[in-house]
Amino acid sequence: MSAAWRIARRELRGGLRGFYIFLICLALGVAAIAAVGSVRAGIEAGLAREGAAILGGDAQAEFTYRFATEEERSWLESVAEEVSETVDFRSMAVAGNERGLTQVRGVDDLYPLYGEVVLDPPMDIASALERRALPGGVMQPVLAARLGLRVGDTFTLGTQQFELRALLEREPDSAGAGFGLGPRTLVTLEGLQESGLITAGTLYDTQYRLRLPAGTDLEALENAAETRFAESGLRWQDSRNGAPGIARFVDRLGAFLVLVGLSGLAVGGLGVSAAVRSYLEGKLDTIATLKTLGATGRVIFTVYFIQVGILSLIGVGLGLLLGALLPLALGPVIEAQLPVPAVFTLYPGPLVEAAIYGLLTAAIFVIWPLARAQDIRAAGLFRDIAGGGMSLPRWPFLLVIAALSAVLIALAVLFSGAWALSLGAAGGIIAALAILAIMAGLVRISARRLARSRVVRGRPALRLALGAVGGPGGETASVILSLGLGLTVLATVGQIEMNTRNAISQDLPEVAPAYFFLDIQNDQLPDFLEIAHAQDGVGRIDTAPMLRGIVTRINGQTARDVAGDHWILRGDRGVTYAASQPESAELTQGTWWPDDYTGPPLVSFAAEEGAELGLSLGDKLTVNVLGRDIEVEIANFRVVEFGDMGINFVMILNEAALAGAPHTHIATLYAEEAAEGPLLRTLSRAFPNVTAIGVRDAITRVSEALGGLAAATSYGAAATLVTGFVVLIGAAAAGTRRRVFEAAVLKTVGATRGRILASFALRSAILGAMAGLVAILGGALAGWAVMTFVMEADYSFQVISALTIVSGGAVASLLAGLAFAWAPLAARPARVLRSRD
Amino acid sequence: MIDPVLSLRDAKLALDANAGRVEILHGIDLDIRAGETVGLTGPSGSGKSSLLMIMGGLERATGGTVMALGHDLTALGEDALARFRLKHMGVVFQSFHLIPTMTALENVATPLELAGAADAFDRAEAELTAVGLSHRLDHYPSQLSGGEQQRVALARAAAPRPAILLADEPTGNLDGPTGEAIMDMLFGLRDRHGATLVLVTHAPELAARCDRQIRLRDGRLDTLSEAAE
Ligand SMILES: Nc1ncnc2c1ncn2[C@@H]1O[C@H](COP(=O)(O)OP(=O)(O)O)[C@@H](O)[C@H]1O
Ligand SMILES: [Mg+2]
Repeated sequence: MSAAWRIARRELRGGLRGFYIFLICLALGVAAIAAVGSVRAGIEAGLAREGAAILGGDAQAEFTYRFATEEERSWLESVAEEVSETVDFRSMAVAGNERGLTQVRGVDDLYPLYGEVVLDPPMDIASALERRALPGGVMQPVLAARLGLRVGDTFTLGTQQFELRALLEREPDSAGAGFGLGPRTLVTLEGLQESGLITAGTLYDTQYRLRLPAGTDLEALENAAETRFAESGLRWQDSRNGAPGIARFVDRLGAFLVLVGLSGLAVGGLGVSAAVRSYLEGKLDTIATLKTLGATGRVIFTVYFIQVGILSLIGVGLGLLLGALLPLALGPVIEAQLPVPAVFTLYPGPLVEAAIYGLLTAAIFVIWPLARAQDIRAAGLFRDIAGGGMSLPRWPFLLVIAALSAVLIALAVLFSGAWALSLGAAGGIIAALAILAIMAGLVRISARRLARSRVVRGRPALRLALGAVGGPGGETASVILSLGLGLTVLATVGQIEMNTRNAISQDLPEVAPAYFFLDIQNDQLPDFLEIAHAQDGVGRIDTAPMLRGIVTRINGQTARDVAGDHWILRGDRGVTYAASQPESAELTQGTWWPDDYTGPPLVSFAAEEGAELGLSLGDKLTVNVLGRDIEVEIANFRVVEFGDMGINFVMILNEAALAGAPHTHIATLYAEEAAEGPLLRTLSRAFPNVTAIGVRDAITRVSEALGGLAAATSYGAAATLVTGFVVLIGAAAAGTRRRVFEAAVLKTVGATRGRILASFALRSAILGAMAGLVAILGGALAGWAVMTFVMEADYSFQVISALTIVSGGAVASLLAGLAFAWAPLAARPARVLRSRD
Repeated sequence: MIDPVLSLRDAKLALDANAGRVEILHGIDLDIRAGETVGLTGPSGSGKSSLLMIMGGLERATGGTVMALGHDLTALGEDALARFRLKHMGVVFQSFHLIPTMTALENVATPLELAGAADAFDRAEAELTAVGLSHRLDHYPSQLSGGEQQRVALARAAAPRPAILLADEPTGNLDGPTGEAIMDMLFGLRDRHGATLVLVTHAPELAARCDRQIRLRDGRLDTLSEAAE
């Protein structure tokens, strides 16, 4: 051991020359993972620190459709030092002939309990909203611009006029509010009183933000609130998790990006492996000499394992440094892009995680070439140096490699918490490597065949290229593996990204409605229909009564305990009623109730969602509608296509069940695009309380959100791309020695530089194209799997993305090959050949 | 008198080494006539290989002129030199220098293909048969013994029927009997095709098989030995 150590140290005196590729590959992969992890930790820390400000209070109780009851309110006041009341709903802001969808928040004097509202021009929120001649209001600049409003102008919400006092630059609690469809308008609750917008049956939420005494036990308080008010539809949130939606999103995106980073590390691992192999090729003399002097295979292995181990530590260290410093340096830039606060400092957790990944990957990928080096026989040294490329190490080494890989995968599952995604990614990488190895074998065999066929006779450049691809000791396997895996990761990300981007726009039905109209009052409905139908270019109009209800219990037990955290149970859902079976309703199970049914309440439930919740015919659900519990029995299951953008309800009750409950109507309106503008103006003038949601705008908002997600993924993929390119350059550089020799011999037998270059270029292009081919297949397969099983969306093969990435890869391979062709072409044959004599 | 095939006038070679510029050949004057066989001998490090290299245009003389078949090799570019060798020269090295990613047949066919011969592979096969390797056509160099590799190299050098054959210690890496067989083949090929042969060797008995012997010492022609001829 100590002998091995001393030999290793002597060998390392040569310095890091020849190990730059090794170091870069390892450092890049580790840096990417460390950086992603650090940013994620930073966001999580930011969310935790600003939890109260994001939430708007230390804790919040929220209701839908109603304000808190006396009892609820007095309990909240009893536990809190201060209670701030707000209301939140969608509406139309109108100014002259312009109107725009807005998310209105009505606030009391205490707002905001935490954080600060930033206004332009600067002023405090209380004076911005106070009532002078008119109540005051502030709105986001984008909405003011759309309405053509300047500070001092007036606008209308419902039937109430407001004066625009300032533009809203920042709300402290915007991140917690979730995904709004319109820009924000802030007014006072008092100012809304005469607007006619907050009436029974219209859709609004109320929030009660609490300032709690220091040291309040949040968990105990939550339990108290839930036991007292769980059935009444009170939703509890506190600053332990101020923005659960965002936290979950950051968590999942972070996990996904770390997996992309791991794929990048695998690509880097191939580069590491290739670098070690080429280093050992240069060490054949030393190894043979050591063996002659009596060193055993084990000593040889140890000597080089120590060297490579030290280098791995250096590489991982560099990666950690880069991965830790990058978020620190770019912190302000990243934070400006984020909708949430983030705290960028050094987080040991993600760094440790990245370091473990890096060291394991390095071990997995260096053991292979090291194990083979120990099997080298001194006598075989002068022949077949690169040794067929593919012979297996002995089984104990294979076992160690397998065990380390298993540990790596297990850790990825553990750290990411997304076991299906992690296992899928690991399986994908292993499968891709296996397919690539098989492909490399096939390419070699067919290139060899082709090189001997009559077709290529008389085309020496082509035959030379094919010979090099198919012959022994070539770079075929290493280039196809590394370039192929890199391109596969890229192609996969490309496929996922394009499919995600297209998911919304492509899944749109042929005929989507132009508008959703919300909050049409019962007495407004006949007029609404009449006026709408009288407009030019208006097609079908569908309407339905609309209430909102929360499924609180399933067969008498708390719903979430029975069916888990399903989106249907997460908040209030739209509920409607119908006497007879709607034409569009296709039943999968059960029967519809008779037209004049007045018995115990029945419900028609969405089939797919019902199955996910584990519901069956006859099950009893408790639905809380407007604070009243209604127990309904499932009479049938019905196909619901949420993708068609029409009116869809998870639950349709029989008419009598909801008799007397105040409610409004929802309408979808199909119209020619040219008719949309005038239609909106006419209808919202006639019905100021009715909210119109433009489907086109909504889609744009959603696409933008998805676009941001796709961009984040692209950054992850970029790290893989850079690593792939470095590996490619490494492969090309490693092949230089061989090419220098080949070029010298070819020159000797009379080949011009043009022909030699052509043959080198062909060789790179063939390898690049083959790697690209596998990447297309692999990317399509992995993209399909992710879209189908993770995103639960449709997959379609993205030709342009695939071709771009693959031709990019082939060109990169070509360029890397050509960049390293200069030395071979320039060298004088005499010098090259003489040095080998 | 027939024009010399190779004609060197005051040919010099100086190379930049780590320790500075090294004068390797100090002005060589030499004429080799068509069909002649010349044995080039001298102690190790005397510049034999260097001289052969500048004759083949594999190294550029840093002074004087090197005329081959009427062309001044010192004035030709890399590609022009390659084309010249393609037409007129075959070179054999001590370490064979076969391309490892090509089979024996492909190695031999390469110069023929480069010359645009339609029947490159048939001729290559005939050439390998002539050196007794008809059963090794599809073997890669790594699968051949040293002697076999050198026979492939011989076939490759001879296949395009060059006017000039240059051989640098072709038996240096081979054992005695194998080396002799290679030598017999080399002289056989030369006899059959009538090429001019320049053979570097330090075995006196091999040099003796040549029409003329030249000795090099410290990068200069050993005038004594020339006179003795
Ligand atoms: N690239 C080079 N740079 C500097 N000196 C060299 C180079 N190649 C060979 N030499 C030197 O040139 C001299 C002649 O070498 P060489 O022609 O190979 O001799 P020979 O073939 O007679 O043994 C030797 O002293 C050798 O060290
Ligand atoms: Mg020599």
